[in-house]
Amino acid sequence: MTTTDAPGLVERVVDSLARLTALGETITDEWTYVHDLETVWVARLRAVAVAVAPRLAESPLSPAALRELETAVDRLVAEADLVTDPHRAIDWLSTLPQATLVALGEAAW
Amino acid sequence: MRFQDAAKDARAVVYAGVQADPLVARAATLLADASPAQRVLARAVMNGETAAPEPWRSMFPTLFGSAAPAEGSPERDRSEAILDASLAVAARGDQVRSQFRGAIVEAVTELLLTRRVGTAAIRRERRILFDGVPAEIHPYDVTVESAGAAEAYDCKWGARGISADVLHQLDDARAHAAAEGERLLPVLVVFDARRSCEVRLARQTAPRAGTRLVTIETLDRLAGRRAEAAS
Repeated sequence: MTTTDAPGLVERVVDSLARLTALGETITDEWTYVHDLETVWVARLRAVAVAVAPRLAESPLSPAALRELETAVDRLVAEADLVTDPHRAIDWLSTLPQATLVALGEAAW
Repeated sequence: MRFQDAAKDARAVVYAGVQADPLVARAATLLADASPAQRVLARAVMNGETAAPEPWRSMFPTLFGSAAPAEGSPERDRSEAILDASLAVAARGDQVRSQFRGAIVEAVTELLLTRRVGTAAIRRERRILFDGVPAEIHPYDVTVESAGAAEAYDCKWGARGISADVLHQLDDARAHAAAEGERLLPVLVVFDARRSCEVRLARQTAPRAGTRLVTIETLDRLAGRRAEAAS
């Protein structure tokens, strides 16, 4: 993975989180919680994307590992996009970032 | 302060059937020894929509990819077993899977506590009674009933389960115990990231200073072990 790929992958997840937020916020009692969740996890994901860049510049992923990581993010986003229930969307607002961080080989929190 | 079995109302009887399901024990046993990444896998699959295992393997390359532990290794076998058990939970349907997930968190909590305090002091679905104080409606999921060092656990699948009622009940129990000269440690166990729990707690005004929070990344502390690095 190049230094520019990590932010690109993370931004795909960020876009997915925005879709989950739009679904989850339809539970009006949870509007604030849903948006706060999105805010903190987007910040965490973007911080990780910045942090891993120097490491990846020094030792890029192998082509096979890069393909696996891109597939992982594609499928995680696709899984999140299957969610149609707003309650499930709120669960995924927390789950998707954790799974993404595991895929990136980072601490999931 | 004294402990008492919760009354067996209709809800409790139904839920007891879920708690006794072999799938709960199977999942809990696997998750008690799981790595942080394997616990995230379980959380994702049990929250998920996809029923086939292969897409999930693709979503977790650090567990199933080319750089993951080799096929046939204990770690890889555990990842496969967790995936299989989690898919079985998800297959139970929306309403039932929610009950299973809660029962699994309770069972994992009990298993990990057993490693620290043994089985004799651990009980499930118990009320805590104090002189002159009306009993709480909801029993505690797990209790450690050791003289002078009691613990009361409320277990949640996700951070969204944290509510003012839960926080008040836990803190009230601690305060009532202290008023009787007893020590009771209230603990909230959440199978979700601390970051999400802190978001939930940030807007709660209920007291929480005396309540310990154990989250998916620190579950092993229930057994008296420090959390391992997540990967």
